[in-house]
Amino acid sequence: MMNTAASSPRRQFDADRLLTLACVGLPLLGLILFFAYPMAIVFLRSITVGDSYGIENYTTVLGSSGFWRATRHSLVMGGATTALSVFLGFIIAHALYRCAFRGKWLIRAIIVLPLLAPSLVQALGLIFLLGRNGVISRALGVEIEIYGFWGLLIANTLYALPQAVMIIGAALVLLDARTYEAAEVMGAQPWRQFRDLTLPAARFGILNAAFVCFTITITDFGNAAVIGGDYSVLATEIYSQVVGQRNFNMGAVVGIMLLLPTVISYAIERQAIKRQQAAQTTGQVPFRPSFSPLRDISMAFVSALICAGIVAVIAIVVYASFVKLWPYNMGLSFKHYDITLAGGYGSLWMTIVISLAAAAGGTIAVFLLGLGLRRLPQALAQPIQILAAMPAAVPGMVLGLAYILTFNSTATPLYLLYGTAALIAIVNFYHYHTQGFLTVATGFRQLPPALEEAAGSLGAGLGRTARDIVAPFIAPMLVSVFFFLFMRSMVTLSAVVFLTTPNLSVAAVTIMRLDDAGLTSQAAAFSTCVMAVVCTAVLFMKLILLLMNRRSGSRETN
Amino acid sequence: MKTWIQTAAVSMSALCLAAPTLADELTVYTALEEEEIAAYIEAAQAAMPDTEINVLRLSTGKLGARLLAEAGNPQADVIWGWAASAMMDPQILEMLEPYAAKGADVLPDTFRGADGKWFAPIGYMGAFCVNTARLEEKGLPMPKSWADLENPAFKDEVLMPDPNSSGTGYLHVNAVLQSMGEEAGWAQLEAVDPNMAQYTSSGSKPCKSARVGEYTVGISLAFTAMQSIEEGYPLAMVFPEGGVGYELEASGLMASSDNMEGAKAFLDWTMSDEAIGLYQKYKALITIPGVDASEAAEKAGLPADISTVLADVDFVKAATQQTAVKEQWKEKFGR
Repeated sequence: MMNTAASSPRRQFDADRLLTLACVGLPLLGLILFFAYPMAIVFLRSITVGDSYGIENYTTVLGSSGFWRATRHSLVMGGATTALSVFLGFIIAHALYRCAFRGKWLIRAIIVLPLLAPSLVQALGLIFLLGRNGVISRALGVEIEIYGFWGLLIANTLYALPQAVMIIGAALVLLDARTYEAAEVMGAQPWRQFRDLTLPAARFGILNAAFVCFTITITDFGNAAVIGGDYSVLATEIYSQVVGQRNFNMGAVVGIMLLLPTVISYAIERQAIKRQQAAQTTGQVPFRPSFSPLRDISMAFVSALICAGIVAVIAIVVYASFVKLWPYNMGLSFKHYDITLAGGYGSLWMTIVISLAAAAGGTIAVFLLGLGLRRLPQALAQPIQILAAMPAAVPGMVLGLAYILTFNSTATPLYLLYGTAALIAIVNFYHYHTQGFLTVATGFRQLPPALEEAAGSLGAGLGRTARDIVAPFIAPMLVSVFFFLFMRSMVTLSAVVFLTTPNLSVAAVTIMRLDDAGLTSQAAAFSTCVMAVVCTAVLFMKLILLLMNRRSGSRETN
Repeated sequence: MKTWIQTAAVSMSALCLAAPTLADELTVYTALEEEEIAAYIEAAQAAMPDTEINVLRLSTGKLGARLLAEAGNPQADVIWGWAASAMMDPQILEMLEPYAAKGADVLPDTFRGADGKWFAPIGYMGAFCVNTARLEEKGLPMPKSWADLENPAFKDEVLMPDPNSSGTGYLHVNAVLQSMGEEAGWAQLEAVDPNMAQYTSSGSKPCKSARVGEYTVGISLAFTAMQSIEEGYPLAMVFPEGGVGYELEASGLMASSDNMEGAKAFLDWTMSDEAIGLYQKYKALITIPGVDASEAAEKAGLPADISTVLADVDFVKAATQQTAVKEQWKEKFGR
């Protein structure tokens, strides 16, 4: 469609169509095989009654008071977490991309820490810090009651915040400097510029971030189990049905019901976006903020405050892993690092390989999908977008069990994947598909179509346009998606725990087994090692990127 | 871009290479504790040198979910050391094949399935984990029974697992109901409910929270209590007067096993003298008649006659009425 220029030879046109088809087709095939198909099997389980099908499971669940209480709690918690995370996330993203102050790299590094911390670390950190016998309670001499709504809100926000920053950042990083220069010339006050230029431009990112925060909050079980106290949520209901009572079909019902609010909120979001006119022009000039004391100092201060909180939660667990017996014997020792049970350190390397595979494959897939969707008519693109945004609505446990039901069946050749590391890489990617896809989609939103059109009319096919125009433009988002997928794959547990085998385990499962065995300090020590490995790997990869940039940068006039 | 895809494809296919399956491999699913698994498997592997024993360890609840999800094409040959009340779930029994392991005939009927599908030479107990440092700080009396926990001074100081999410939770609820009788049992649970700070989803969490001083009493597992005391936490393990709940760790043969011989040999080994010797080192609860109280039991402060601290539990009844009890519990105490 972009190739309307008469000069395009017909063969080029066909090759382009074929490429577009491949761009959308391959990731779509993946989504269908590794997300839609397993979820269809979960749906079948949800309507299985005895040996036949019916809706009795649904009426039973809808008729129970516990379900409605959990639903109410989930919606309130989802709303509160979304509001807080998007608000704070916007401040941080705004500080990072629209303000001028030193030390941004530090904020950028700290803000992702909750993504690379195993869930045990966040839970322990909050309790060691804010618990009834935590550091702050003891210092103040009053017992803070952390368990329940407030504890859960803090824990969920910690986890959602980096994802909000990633997505909102994708919208802010690419704003055109010339619009701001024009506004400046016309004498618009900074507040006016923010309200009339920044906010509308960031709206797509903000809505996407809100959608992601809401969805991951209502599907999260880990935080609710550890710090939610008696604040029951829908994910707790699923756990109680499936793990507590071996009542698979009922768990499937709740799993399917969780898709509803997600699909609804996504539809609302789409409507909201439709009303916004995309007004992007060509030849953008990257925005370089100049120092403005009031704005920059306050933004930097708030960001630093949030970062201090994040560091405190993680650092206290790292410290506790060296403490002999937290909180009763604060002497230091390395004894918790002598880990022999639960497979010891053996799982670390395999986890790195799996995570790199998930990150590389996943980044390519969401890039291709984002690229291809731009060239499809809306009627076709819309349902694919919804499908691509849905995986976050599925709790990890449901996805893991769905994978067993689907891939442990000799009925299809997909059975070959069962029990392999590849399937773990795949489940990790599809578990976090939404975040990757929406980050790239937000980035693509900023890419002026005119740029591609111009390339097309100059005779560049989709392949060349993608390589020379789109990829460099979208590169910062691809990098953040890659690191996001890598970090989450290193530590995510809920889906993977059901897919490990006696011969194939991952780091997150080792942490869980150590904690299950009562060796919480060893689990913290192992988590510290995982975090150290992830940090090293990320720094190493950043270094490579920097070197690559330098080389290509020297060729261009900058 | 093509090269990216190729690289990705190559690395993915490298990942796909599954380990070659040996003819004599045995897959064992278990919920026993890590430390004991390591010791048992070392001995069993030495006794069965031609079979490679692969063990998957998951907590009781997660193992159940995994077994049910895999039911269409089961991967395990043996279920080893898994809660008997979970094993007695008809969905699980359906997957098992009756097998009389050598030596299992010495077990009293209560510790064997009537259909011959499971036997349980060992078990584990519940316990109160009491943080002595916090107890002193708050000036609370040492609780010795469920009734002692009714004391309003314990308000928000007690944790117990939710029976709807945790087998340990049901273990305690069932013991109270069976040892005190239905009516008195429910009344007892109702009397302690106002003092319960939380009903947790994990069975070991109440003890782990109590040992770091977040709460005073965690109604939990004896294993976690003993392990915590050994690590040095200021913790006392209390078996409530009137009897504490316990659970059997049952083993059975998967009907779908493609290595029946190996599976049977392994189950035989779990009743061998060598295995029993190891049970005495690790288990507080051994159901084999004539086997002396173990080191572990002594360390736990158990009397020579362990039956004096255990509640009188009818496991078949516990299994059959669990759905009804859990529902009633949820109605009364669900939060």
